[in-house]
Amino acid sequence: MRSVSMPSAAGSGLEPGFRGVICASFGVTGDTAGHDTGDRPRHDLRFVSANPEALADLRSVLGCSHVGVRLVLAGPPADIRAAAAAAAECGLLEEEMTLLCDEAGPRVVYCPHCRARTTVGAAGTEAECSGCATTLFIADHFSRRMGAYLGYSAHVEEAS
Amino acid sequence: MTTTALPISAHPAVEGGLQLEVTSVSVQTESIVSIILANPSGGTLPSYVPGSHLVVQYGDGVNAYSLTGSGNAPSEYAISVLRVEDGAGGSMAMHQLAVGDRVYVSRPRSAFAPVSTATHHLLVAAGIGITPVLSHARAAADRGTTSSLIYVYRPGAGAHVDEARELLGPALTECSNRTGFQEVLTEQLASQNLGTHLYVCGPGAFMDGVLGQARELGWPEARLHSEAFGAAELDEGEPFSVNLVRSGIKLEVPAGVSLLETLENAGKTIPNMCRKGICGECSLSVLRGAPQHRDLYLTDEEKAENTTMMCCVSRSEDPELELDL
Repeated sequence: MRSVSMPSAAGSGLEPGFRGVICASFGVTGDTAGHDTGDRPRHDLRFVSANPEALADLRSVLGCSHVGVRLVLAGPPADIRAAAAAAAECGLLEEEMTLLCDEAGPRVVYCPHCRARTTVGAAGTEAECSGCATTLFIADHFSRRMGAYLGYSAHVEEAS
Repeated sequence: MTTTALPISAHPAVEGGLQLEVTSVSVQTESIVSIILANPSGGTLPSYVPGSHLVVQYGDGVNAYSLTGSGNAPSEYAISVLRVEDGAGGSMAMHQLAVGDRVYVSRPRSAFAPVSTATHHLLVAAGIGITPVLSHARAAADRGTTSSLIYVYRPGAGAHVDEARELLGPALTECSNRTGFQEVLTEQLASQNLGTHLYVCGPGAFMDGVLGQARELGWPEARLHSEAFGAAELDEGEPFSVNLVRSGIKLEVPAGVSLLETLENAGKTIPNMCRKGICGECSLSVLRGAPQHRDLYLTDEEKAENTTMMCCVSRSEDPELELDL
């Protein structure tokens, strides 16, 4: 398997049954270039964000990979957590993934009131839900399946 | 009805369990029988997780046997037992069971469960190791998950071969020699989609080989699942000799006879309890030679030191061992 350094379309450039290391970078801060994969064959992917097309590409690459493959994800939490969730759905296990997280990047908060997911900045403990405009308190509780933090209506427990 | 089949009282290991009746005994191979147990008063038995085992009492002893059904609302429990001529007597007692006999059994115990998120189960079995793996294959078929099986057995000595063929069709690969098996195993380990988990059951050395190869091919521990037989079904092993340095005597340990038994036959009293390599009671000091460690008691580090061995199950890698006895 040769190294692929150019951006790659879904599955192309990847021979079926790949068991090397897939390195996927997201956004401008995501960079897997410094990640040493040793002697193992390497397949590089670069995405602007974890949008549906990017996740479909990733699923396609994982779909033609075989057990033994490893995945390295680099970029903002919002993107790499979405990618990790998609990879897990494809059957990849946590110990087969390495997350290189840009903690300064945006993250995702889930609103249990309307079930919308909102991308918010790294700073702050509150955010406005993109679905129902509720002011959400961003809890520490994180769902790996959704790649999102739990939000809940802020200040509801305060006496008015 | 034999006395071994209806013990006076239940062994602690099967307490709170069930008293079942043998409803069928069928010969699988020259040395393996399948025994069907059912509730004497009819009705379904407790369901079990695929890959579970049953502890069955014989006389004063107990042995664990894998259940071969899918485990879903069973009306009967099926086990298959390999006769071990020089074992503790459990398999011999099982082979003497007849229809109508009653036995004390534990409730099913799960120690080799399938992973619920797996989309494919790659099953690898050698010899009597087919039993829990057959349960997995049946459960996968029931639940609409796919499975494939590599089954290694000596020609003419394979149990449940017809059922495996019917159940798995082209997903069954039968192997009768090591070379053929290695080729199939390597090919399959390198060609599994990401949802696959591996399940292995067979003699210890066989499982070690399969798991080692999987690790080399990049399989993480979380995808690897194995079921040790316990000492009841350990292979006979190679003959070796022991030199008892303090006693100044030398003993030959034949294949199929444990070191503990050999020492007892020679009049030595060795503290022991489980005789299955679990409790650590029969520990002996080794002065020279490398034991073939087959116990579940010593840590990997302790085993590597080769200064201690469990004489109930462990044997020798070298033709001779020197013991501090």
